[in-house]
Parts: sequence; structure tokens; C-alpha cells
Amino acid sequence: MTVIAIGTAADGAPAGPGFGYTVDTLAAWLAGGQAPGAFATGVAIVVAWVVPMLVLVFPLAALGQIAERKIAAAIQRREGPNSAGLDGPLRLLCRAVLFFLPRPRQDRVFERLSALPVVRTVLATARRIGLGQLLADGVKMLGKEDIVPADADGVVFRMAPYLAMVGAFLPFCVVPFGHHLVMLESPVGALFAIAASGITVLALKMAGWGSGSKWSLLGGMRAVAQLISYEIPVGLAVAGVVLWCGTMDLHAIVGQQYRDGALTLLGWNALQSPFLLLLACILFFAGLAECQRTPFDMAEAESELVSGFNTEYSGLRWGMFAMAEYTEMLLVSALVATLFFGGYQSPLGEQWIVALPVWLSVPIHAVLLLLKMLAGFGLMMWIRWTLPRFRVDQVMRLCWLSLVPLCLLALLGLAAQLLCAGGATLGVPYGRLPARLQPDLGMVGHLVGWAVPLLLGGVVVRAARRRHGQMHPALRQLTGGAP
Amino acid sequence: MTVEATTPSGERMTLNMGPQHPATHGVLRIVVESDGEIVASCTPDHGYLHRSIEKIGECVEWPMVVPYTDRVDYVCAMNANLAYCVAVEKLLNTDPAAAVQVPLRAECIRVLVAELNRISSHMVAVGAMAMDTGAVTPFLHGIAQRELVNDIFEKLCGQRLTYNYVTVGGVAFDLYPDAAAEIARFLDQFEIEMRRFNKLITANAIFRDRCAGVAAVSAAEAIAWGLVGPNLRASGVDYDVRRDDPYGIYERLQVRVPVGQGFAGRRGKVGDCYDRFVVRLLEVQESVRLCRAALAMLPPPADGKPADPVGGFQADVKKLLLRPPKGEVHCRTESARGEMGYYLVSDGTKVPYRVRVRTGSFSAAGIFHHVMRGIFLADVVAVIGSFDVVVPEIDR
Repeated sequence: MTVIAIGTAADGAPAGPGFGYTVDTLAAWLAGGQAPGAFATGVAIVVAWVVPMLVLVFPLAALGQIAERKIAAAIQRREGPNSAGLDGPLRLLCRAVLFFLPRPRQDRVFERLSALPVVRTVLATARRIGLGQLLADGVKMLGKEDIVPADADGVVFRMAPYLAMVGAFLPFCVVPFGHHLVMLESPVGALFAIAASGITVLALKMAGWGSGSKWSLLGGMRAVAQLISYEIPVGLAVAGVVLWCGTMDLHAIVGQQYRDGALTLLGWNALQSPFLLLLACILFFAGLAECQRTPFDMAEAESELVSGFNTEYSGLRWGMFAMAEYTEMLLVSALVATLFFGGYQSPLGEQWIVALPVWLSVPIHAVLLLLKMLAGFGLMMWIRWTLPRFRVDQVMRLCWLSLVPLCLLALLGLAAQLLCAGGATLGVPYGRLPARLQPDLGMVGHLVGWAVPLLLGGVVVRAARRRHGQMHPALRQLTGGAP
Repeated sequence: MTVEATTPSGERMTLNMGPQHPATHGVLRIVVESDGEIVASCTPDHGYLHRSIEKIGECVEWPMVVPYTDRVDYVCAMNANLAYCVAVEKLLNTDPAAAVQVPLRAECIRVLVAELNRISSHMVAVGAMAMDTGAVTPFLHGIAQRELVNDIFEKLCGQRLTYNYVTVGGVAFDLYPDAAAEIARFLDQFEIEMRRFNKLITANAIFRDRCAGVAAVSAAEAIAWGLVGPNLRASGVDYDVRRDDPYGIYERLQVRVPVGQGFAGRRGKVGDCYDRFVVRLLEVQESVRLCRAALAMLPPPADGKPADPVGGFQADVKKLLLRPPKGEVHCRTESARGEMGYYLVSDGTKVPYRVRVRTGSFSAAGIFHHVMRGIFLADVVAVIGSFDVVVPEIDR
């Protein structure tokens, strides 16, 4: 079975400081073909990180807010934003471009333009889906007064939103967006992602403490307790993938999920073992807790703690927290996709996409990853607008008494599976493993490996449901017979 | 009179929950002493919505009190109208010469509007409680049903919130043409919607665990603290004014009364938040049945009669109310928030001497500090929601 080595020096990247293909190429280009110095490398890193952030993640996080409102509306049988279109911005644009003309002629140009069938359709669609709401909200947020409460610890209060943004955006630099589109190829990428997103804890704690409000303080305390706890299942879930793949390099992990043939998805980690599938679910839910989304939105808990850690924030600072939250949701989705669902690879026929020229395959890959991220994003919204919130003690119990033991169990199972397969990956040193073969379990091994854990899991779930999950017999009729 | 619970560290933090708090709607203030997340004591502070409704009642003529009763419980105003009107009728009936006869059609319409309003009120109550536990969607589905009821009421009396519809001696307007069919249509779709609503939130394990065993009130406690209505029944006390002290035609409708049984299962207790939530949903089912029964019983309108067929503004009643019999009367009815008692004193003049209202929210608010000791801060809002407190009922 061939496994393509991706993003390695073998692909023809120039030998550089070793920050991965993208950075190295850029740095070499900046240095004019010579060995790049520290400055060129620094600039290359910033460009390689900032540009994809601005082009890919930032607009997606902003669009996420509109998407959330539309999805919430659909679930609640409302319409959601449906009036704010792009007519106004277009008119303003016309005026700005044609500033040398008198106002009536500027407006006539706008009217001519918006009468064009294509433009008219676009404008009508934008109005229907409330696309202008995004701009309107942004402008509103910019115009709001920036309030720092009298009791606040000014420096801490002001710094918290920036740190939240850093915690949300920094981990993205190790997420591979495409064949040659990785900002930072690090041999400890997975670890880096977890560590960098840990900055959020600090930001929330600072916001809670610095606001000088009891509601914020309670929210901050909850955030710290919850985020630190849920980092353990997150770490263990990632450890499962590391155990399976033998590397922490996210790009190498993506590369190992490649399969020849039409059904690329057969190589996805989530489909390699039931334990990995379990870990994927755990990573998703623990990630949900990490980004403070319902049912884990303890720290915000608007009906309990007013607005939790961000109660005292207004305007752009509040907007930065919101932005960080959406970015973090995207990050969790991206990590789950990268570690378990083939990253930027297509589920079908990846080999043909790889064969395309780079200028074509890179955008396709980026879009594929964005689609996978959007799927996770949508799932999170569906969950948010369906479920109530846990209580503080329940959140902790779920983490320590359910998720952590489940993770450990899955890790044990995974290790046993690897041992059965001859210990193929155990003891392999960390680093790039471009052409490592997946453990060859054989047909029987595969069947047993899937069937036994699934059966056991089914029995456990059924027992738990019978013991705890069913409604009182007198209430069955309320739901028309459903459990 | 606050009694403090023992908490882990013994250190206290005072939290002002309300009036500017999303869960207290700007009119209720609760001073919470907490030790971190554990509530040590909790003192409700009332009066933010006091509008002297009882005092106004002593200043306006008997029939003119009705619009003010709307404001006593604006979530369930039909029942508030009804409570006052039934009390005044009872007062008039103390003098055989002044006895008022409410036409059967008016009685049926009264049951219809009272039960429809109970449905819409309970939908707000359960929806708001779900929202207090962090689930926003059920609230909107609940409110959507309330809007449909409001549509019917708007066609009936022109108002969507404060109806001023029930009058002494009957109701203000007859049903509009097609009303019976529209109500029947509403009830049909409502039952389907309720099944979806219950699948969404009532059957949800997170919600059930959130509410299970929280702020459980035993039957003895419930009676001792004077709880009424759904809050009392959730504690397992089988008592409903509509069945046990019936007024109007409720006796003929044979109301079935659901009581709390510890519905939350293993961790649940009789009278916990989940029971209070579920009892309201079961009551809504019963209200649907009562509406259908009232529709079936509804006599045809008296065609061609110049006199008002539903008894609204009967000329003789108006005359009677200029000089009602002297004396005092207490009359209780079952509003959505439980027993609503009107105590009226008449000195024989056209203005009441005293109008006193006893409401369900008042007694529910009285037990707050008792049940909220030692619970989690997050549960405080859920408990407020579960008792379904409408603040003007406390501050009259």
C-alpha cells in the first residue's frame, strides 16, 4: 500500500530553517534565493500565518455568526435576519469610487448597476439571507462605547480579549490547510495546538477577575475549572491518534490517512478502529466544552450569570470575545477533521486531486477542509439550539467520571489492537513517518476489532439507558410513546 | 428570618440577583448569599412592580375593577378576570333578590377562555423554565403556541394581553363566527406540537438531571407554606379548586387532577423542579380536554334576541352593582398559578369597601428562601422558573 509523503523536503522544498514547505519557500524567495536569515524567516512566518488566517478563518468565523442566527432561526421556526442586504454598502461603494461626480449622478450609477439582472439577483439573495446584518453588526459594535468599569483592573481587563483572540487563532498555524499550505510544520504540532489553545483559560480568567464584577468572577472561576478539566480528555483523545500514527506532526497524520483508489475515506483514522471513533466523539464533545458552547456554556450561562465572564465588556472588546469563540469552534472542528477525518483530503478520489497542479489542488484542499470545519460548526449549532445547559457539578462529573475513564479505556483498547498487529508502531520515534504502513490486522482482526468493542459498547449503553435514560411510565404518553 | 445553610468554606459572597438580571425580568430582586457556587441563603425582595391594584379597587365602581384584575396576572388575565367576576357574583347571590344568573353559553365561553389562557400561560411557564436552564428553543416554541391563543383572543375581545373580557354576569362579547372551529383546529395542532415539545425538552436527559431532586418540597411542607395550584399538586397533594370547590360549570366537566410522583426517576423526589415542570404539562393536556368538552356543551346562540345572549353588561346586573348587598365574601378560583382568592367587602355602595387578592405567586415566593438553601447558584433561576412566579401577583 503506498502512502504519499506530503509536505516534506522530498517534494522539492528548498532546504531552509525547516519551518515547512510554505514558510521555507517564502523565506527563500524573500531572501532572493540565498539562505534566508532570521528576518526573512520571521516575515515569512508572519505572512504564512496571517494571510490564511485573514483569507480563510476570519471570514468564516464572521460568517459563522450569521450562520448561527439563521440556523437558530430555522430550529425555532423563525426567519432570522432577512432584511439587511448589501444595497446600502453598494451605494456607499459607488459614491466612494465616483467621489468626483455630483451626488445624483453617483446614485444614478448605483441604480443602473443594481438594475442589472445579476446584481439584482445577488442583492435580493443577500437581503433574503440577511448578509448585510454582518456589516451592520460590525459597524454597530465599532460605534459602541468602550466601557471599563470603575472597579475593573484596567490592564488585565483590557488585555483579556486580545489573549482570547491569540488563544483562538494561534493553534491554527499548525493545522494543514492543503498539500502545501501549512503555516508551521512542527514535529509537535498536536501538542502545540492543545498548548496554544490553553491560553484561552488565562484570557477568561483575566476577564473574570479584571472586570470587578461578581458575575464575571463566578464565570471566570467556572471557565478555569471547566477548561482545565476538559483539557485532559482532549489531550487523551489526541494521544490516541498519536499512539496510532506514531507522530505528533499534524501534516504527517493527515498524510497517513491517505489511501489510493476511489474510497479515500477508508484510510481515515476514525474508521480504523472503534476506539479511534470513540476518541473522535470525545474530542468533539470535550472541544465543545473547551469553546464554552451549550451544553457546556457554564462560563457564560446567560440565564444564571447575566453573561458570565464577558458581562462588563462592550463594543469591540466584546466582539473580540465573540470572534474568539467562533474561531475556537472552527479550530475544534478543524482538529477533529485533521486528526480523525482525513484533514484536507477528499473523502473520494483523493489520488486524482493530488495529481492536479499545485495551484489547483491547494484551493480544492482548503475548501474541503473548510467544508469539514463547517460540518462540525453546524453540528455545534444544532446542539446548542437543542440542548439545555449542564450544571457545574454535572459538567465536572461528566469529565472526570465519564470522559476521562472512557478515554483511558479507548487508549488501552487501541494499544491492545496495536500489540495484536505486531506492535508495528509502538516504539517508533516521533518525527515524520512518510511511508509507514498501517498495522496489518487482516480481515479477521478487523472484524473482531470492530465487533467486540461495538457489542460491548452497545450492551453498556443499553444498560445505562434502562437504568437511567427512560421516562417515567406515566409520562410516556407526553411524547406520544417515544422514550 | 433567613436561615443559612452550612456550606463548604463558610465564607460568604453577597450576590444581587435582579432586578437587572436576565432571569428576573427586571421586577424581582433576590439577594443571594453564596459560598462560591453553593447558595447559603436567599432573600427575595419584592415591590418593584407594586401598582396599588388593591387600593385602586377601593376607588372605582364594582364593574370597573375588572380591567385592573387583568394587571394582577397579565400572563393569565382571563382567569384573573374570571376570579373577580365569580367573586362579585357570589357577593350578589348572598341576597336572593339580587341573584345573578349566568347564561350557559357564557359559562361555556368562560371555561373555554380560562382553559385556553391556562394553556398559553403554562406554555410560557415551562418555556421560561427551560430557558432558565439554558435551552432557548423550547421557549420560542411555547411562545408560538401562546401567540396562536392570543390570535383567538384578539378576535374575541380585541386584546392580546389584558383582555377585560369576562364581566359580572357573563362575558363581554359572544364568540365570533367560526370561533368554535378555530379553537378546535388550534387544539388539534397543539396536541401534535406538544408531543414535539416534550420530545425536545421533557424527555431530555440533561434537563431531567438538572431538575431532578432540586428544591424538593414535601407534601407537608407545601401545605405548611401555603403553596397552591400546580406547585402544590407537584408535591403530591391532590387538590384543585375546579374539582374540590367548583365554580361555574366545572362540576359538570369533571376535572381530572394530575399530581407529582417523582417523575424524574432515580434521582428525583416528589415535589422537585422536574415534577413542577411536568405537572404543568399534564395540566395542559387536561385543559385541552376541558376545552373540547366545553365546545361540545356550547349551546347555540340565541338567535334574533335583542338582549345580549352571553350576559355581558346585563342591564339588571349593572343596576344591581349600583347597590350590592352589604357584607363580605371570599371566593376562590383555580388560576394558572393556582388558587386565586378574591376577598370582597361591600358596604352597600357602588364602590367596593375592600378588594383583597390572594394569589399563587405570593405563596410561591414565600417558600423561596426555604427551598433555596444549599442548592447550586445555577439552580436558583431554575427554581424561580419552576414555581412560575408572575411578579405583579406578588406586588399588588
